[in-house]
Amino acid sequence: MSVLSKKRMALLPGDTGKFAGILSGFILLLAVLPILTMIVMSFSGASNLDFPPSSYSLQWYKAAWHTFVAPDASDVLSLGQAMATSLLVSCLTMIFATLIAVPAAYALTRCEFRGKAVALQLMSLPLVFPMVVLGLALLLVFDSLPFHLTTSRLVIAHVILALPFVVKNCTAAMLSIGSEVEEAARMLGASPLRAIVDVVVPLMKSGILAGMLLAFIVSFNEFTVTYFLYTIDVMTVPIWMYSRTVSSLDPTVFSFAVLIVLIDFVLIWALEKLVGEGGVSF
Amino acid sequence: MEHQSLTQTAGVIHARRSHGVSPTARAWLFLSPSMLFLGVLIAASLLVLRMSVGTKGAEWTGFSLASYAQLLEPYYLKSLLLTLRLALISAAIAVVLAIPVAYTMSRLTSPFLRRIFLAAVLLPLLVNLLLQSYGWLVILGPGGMLNQTLMGLGLIKRPIMLLYNQNGVLMGLVQTAFPLAVLPIASAMRGVARTYEEAAATLGASRFQVFRQVVLPMSLPGIITGATLVFAYNASSFVVPLLLGGRRVPMLAVMVHDQIAPLMNWPAASAAGVVLIVTTLAIMTLSEYITGRRRRLLEASQ
Repeated sequence: MSVLSKKRMALLPGDTGKFAGILSGFILLLAVLPILTMIVMSFSGASNLDFPPSSYSLQWYKAAWHTFVAPDASDVLSLGQAMATSLLVSCLTMIFATLIAVPAAYALTRCEFRGKAVALQLMSLPLVFPMVVLGLALLLVFDSLPFHLTTSRLVIAHVILALPFVVKNCTAAMLSIGSEVEEAARMLGASPLRAIVDVVVPLMKSGILAGMLLAFIVSFNEFTVTYFLYTIDVMTVPIWMYSRTVSSLDPTVFSFAVLIVLIDFVLIWALEKLVGEGGVSF
Repeated sequence: MEHQSLTQTAGVIHARRSHGVSPTARAWLFLSPSMLFLGVLIAASLLVLRMSVGTKGAEWTGFSLASYAQLLEPYYLKSLLLTLRLALISAAIAVVLAIPVAYTMSRLTSPFLRRIFLAAVLLPLLVNLLLQSYGWLVILGPGGMLNQTLMGLGLIKRPIMLLYNQNGVLMGLVQTAFPLAVLPIASAMRGVARTYEEAAATLGASRFQVFRQVVLPMSLPGIITGATLVFAYNASSFVVPLLLGGRRVPMLAVMVHDQIAPLMNWPAASAAGVVLIVTTLAIMTLSEYITGRRRRLLEASQ
């Protein structure tokens, strides 16, 4: 039966035509073209932005390394400091977003309660909320507080932005488990909390990890909201890069950019491996 | 029988352990940490709303609609229309480009190809917009890739200006929001069972007819969702017009920032922000209404 249907399917025109395949490959190439261009430019031997570059060298990588080990006096903040801030903010965002998203996902999948529709709507609100307004609004809130927050205000903003991604991945993972496992654990004498912590959470590990990775990526690459909230002594790598190129584009930035794209690509690849193709939820 | 009584006992124990807390209260307890963060978002938006009817210098105490009236001045009105137009065009282009990609993605069988495709879709969404805009600066510049190609093909004689005008911004908008169109459409198309396609093909439909008359209509909710997401995302796009448009393509989000950074005019920035929120929410609600109605119609017909 299955052999038959397989054979039949191959003959039927429902299969992706070669034309559609090539067309979509081309469109996707265009979609990643800016990233590819940047990677090629970082190996440029010329000092202008003409493409393709007239010669190739590692000069910008050397210059970038020099910036990293011996920061210019003109830079307000060194790349090392910005990198440290970025990593700290991204890690904290990842941890907090996950800690708050797991119980939320539990409530959204396992409980029937009043206001569930509202809760679901609220959870996806940060996805569609205009980022500029979020930046402006948070700036208003933080500036009217009687005390000063620096790194933590970036973390709060990033947690809000990353929350929908983590909740969606945790929800998808929890839906795939089914409630029998938890009921069995409870029947065997586990308290409701223990059933969640010791049985449900380990089973949804890959979904949680996928959410964590997404939270990290979102926070690590965030620019718009951070641009409203950064202070002169606490800035992330994207802000540092922007402040460096605001007057003219400096090709050393391309080398840093390649590094960041590489990190992103590894994380995305790991994400796909973790949850399988088509498993990442948005 | 014995099993049943065991379940009942467990149920009783469970009920006693949760101290008679109602399921609603328990669910909201689990939700409370996330709601705390979302509460910050909502409180912040209310502050923006309050600020937008304040007056410069007396942001919290004054009341005037001057900031909204200012938005009706030709300069700001032009910016609003420009924003809506660019968002609309970019949504249309992104959806047209996304449909073949989403269809291919939903029908790919090789796991490796699927991962490559998904990675290529996710990269433009997740990689820092700033970096992608740098890439665009190289592509669109006077000596850049696009101008070289066009000159190589003999289509133009002198480099044409692509940066710092609407064309460049539009290209950037389409590319950065493209994944938001692909993902919902692909998931809708994955939901169209192959049996429908097979049935259509058996009845003599050509490959293109199957796609146009079966797959496309059935994945329309996904297409609408994709278009809406791109529109909403691009209507409030900030980085792309900032870097690729310079100051010559004043989209609304850039104006919000300009009102704060050099001008310190908080009420004006807030009023422009409120317009952005209202636009986004209106378009999302409209799309929800359309897709919901369509889904009900589909369900009724089945």
